[in-house]
Amino acid sequence: MASALCRLLGCVLLLCASVPLAAQEPLTIKEGELSLAMSGAFQPFSTTDAQGNLAGFDADIATVLAERMGYQPRLVQNDWAAIQQGLQTRKYDLVCGSMAITDERLQTMHFTLPYYVSGAQVFAPPGTQSLSGLRFGVTEDSTYATYMREHPDGFPNVEIIQFGSEAEIVAAIKTNKVDAFVSDKIVGGWYIKQAGADVRPWGPLLYQEACGIAARQDSPELVRLTNRALFEIVQDGTYGTIYEKWVGVKPDLDVLLKSWGEFEQHIPRESQAELETEVEAEKPGFADNLDQWLSLFQRGAIITLQLSLLTLILALMLGTLVGVGSVSKNQIIQKLSQGYIVIVRGTPLLVQLFIAYYGIATVFNDVAGSELMGAFGAALLALVINTGAYNAETIRGGILSIEKGQWEAAASLGMSRPATLRRVVLPQAFRNSVASLGNNLVVLIKDTSLVGAITLIELTYTARNIVFQTGQPFMPFLVAAVFYLVIITVLDQGVKLWERYMMRSTGAKGAAA
Amino acid sequence: MSDVLFEARGVNKSFGALHVLKGVDLKVKKHEVVTLVGPSGSGKSTLLRCMNLLEKPEEGDLAWQGESLRYRDMTPAQVNAHRARTGMVFQHFNLFPHRRAIENVMEGPVTVKGVSKDQAREQAFKLLDRVGLADKAEAWPAQLSGGQKQRVAIARALAMNPEVLLLDEVTSALDVELIAGINELLADLASEGMTMVVVTHDIGFAKRASNRVCFMDEGRIVERGPTEEVIDNPSSPRAREFMSALART
Repeated sequence: MASALCRLLGCVLLLCASVPLAAQEPLTIKEGELSLAMSGAFQPFSTTDAQGNLAGFDADIATVLAERMGYQPRLVQNDWAAIQQGLQTRKYDLVCGSMAITDERLQTMHFTLPYYVSGAQVFAPPGTQSLSGLRFGVTEDSTYATYMREHPDGFPNVEIIQFGSEAEIVAAIKTNKVDAFVSDKIVGGWYIKQAGADVRPWGPLLYQEACGIAARQDSPELVRLTNRALFEIVQDGTYGTIYEKWVGVKPDLDVLLKSWGEFEQHIPRESQAELETEVEAEKPGFADNLDQWLSLFQRGAIITLQLSLLTLILALMLGTLVGVGSVSKNQIIQKLSQGYIVIVRGTPLLVQLFIAYYGIATVFNDVAGSELMGAFGAALLALVINTGAYNAETIRGGILSIEKGQWEAAASLGMSRPATLRRVVLPQAFRNSVASLGNNLVVLIKDTSLVGAITLIELTYTARNIVFQTGQPFMPFLVAAVFYLVIITVLDQGVKLWERYMMRSTGAKGAAA
Repeated sequence: MSDVLFEARGVNKSFGALHVLKGVDLKVKKHEVVTLVGPSGSGKSTLLRCMNLLEKPEEGDLAWQGESLRYRDMTPAQVNAHRARTGMVFQHFNLFPHRRAIENVMEGPVTVKGVSKDQAREQAFKLLDRVGLADKAEAWPAQLSGGQKQRVAIARALAMNPEVLLLDEVTSALDVELIAGINELLADLASEGMTMVVVTHDIGFAKRASNRVCFMDEGRIVERGPTEEVIDNPSSPRAREFMSALART
């Protein structure tokens, strides 16, 4: 322990020596305040308490570090998938969110010394002999996902499904959407215990990983200050107390210090200009792999198109049915239809997607006894139910806009109410609603960007994945935007043609007899 | 068997607090043209609409060829069947704007009677020819003048081979020069033996085409009789007042 502390001291002296602590410009985005981001979805390191405040090991460390550095701490909860983008676009100063230090991440960010060391662990059902053919859950943009892709031999024929957090993975295991997962050994263990999921650690650690606090490459001084504060709290025992409070055992400081020694080479000391040229040269740019990215986009666009077109057709049918139901003379049908519209329009699509995926699809598959409804089926269900409600409201308005004289003229010929609806009222209601229905279609296509939340990799999600890989937060989204624009413009022209066809009877231009 | 086609006995109808028909009796014989005249709001149109059950009376009885309709117990299908034999033409035409002229005329036979499209088209073309619109068969309603629209509406009603034609102020929305043509057509139909009940403010047409006139006021038939008598020499003060006011316009 004593020798370790000596090495540590030397290490820190080295850090401080290279820092001329000039008090010129403030080091943080807001003077006097240090903002630190974490996902809040990585227990026990990062979570939220009953009041909704960020809590956990990361939160406590972040708070203590900021205070030691003389700043007012501000903790920011940011979705893990976008946490690097938030940092790069100056939404906060540091990421103190259990981010593993990797060569890839070091190309776009600075890291402090590791503040804890853990490892990647496979969790599989008890009695598992081979991982072959299993469905694996991993968090998107995690080192685990990268590791699995780079080591296909260790994971033969497995299917990798990405989720937003460990909690969702464990929920997916319990609802039989995935079989196994890879996560941090401490975090994974915590979640399966919490949820009672029937999986166990399988095999030895895949690798050890050290988590550091990430900073933008334009703030090496902030990294040095943070390192000094980290050294202080490790030395005076504050760190140990916090670690024990959240993880349940004392930290192995020897392992931590060893990781510090290994990390030494990455301590930022180059001048900013040198660094930028170096990064410029090394980063795998978006343009370099354009072909590869475009084929990914193509795959995403196909999912987006499939979802949009299927939903378009089914939601039109559902909307017509419910629209007619909502003006039915049968009180029960009318109330049911209107209730459906109120409930669906009154809840966000994202919530409906989660209910469809984790609730309805699970129950459906349990009853059916096989995995008939996957992520695509659940997404389609939610989108049809959602868009169907908006279409129903539009068609209901179209029906109500048909004057009474039309109903009476049909009735005076002896036409029944269903026949009148089918032959007289609905055709005109559609004619009056084409523009609104077209608008609903555009909204629908944009709404498909939300289905990434239930593991379906469509256009937006594809862009996000590429952002994770290239570290460029802008270009992939621009490309996705162009894809959307093309899809929407083409479909919008289709709607315009349909509208012109429907309007041919109004005596407007081009409607000669 | 009497030659009475339709009969209303003690018919009462209210819309909320508004008591529109207050115990109306009316007989319409076959091949007869009966005109209903009277000030606005007197209940003429409502009485007409009770005849094909677009409105259901609260009290009273409606009979068809001497038999009570029992309209309170009718199923929707029976109501539709009754409407199919009573053709109606509206003030604002109410053509189906999404259907061409000939399709408007075909709609009843095809949808209600199950006539084949070819047969219905053939018959519809004859009827359009009959009302003078053979050249407009493929036109959209939006491309027709008011008078032409009303001719299509008349053809649409005739396509069902109704036993009575109910005409609800069919010339009120038309320009003056178009009215004569429609009146001519209706007078022709009457002379061919079509039974008609006509709600109108057009005294000239009443005189020319109708056998009997009923003068209505405030939900009652105040005076009824042969056309000349009621129009030229009404006995009740209210009818006299109304007729002289009409004559001044």
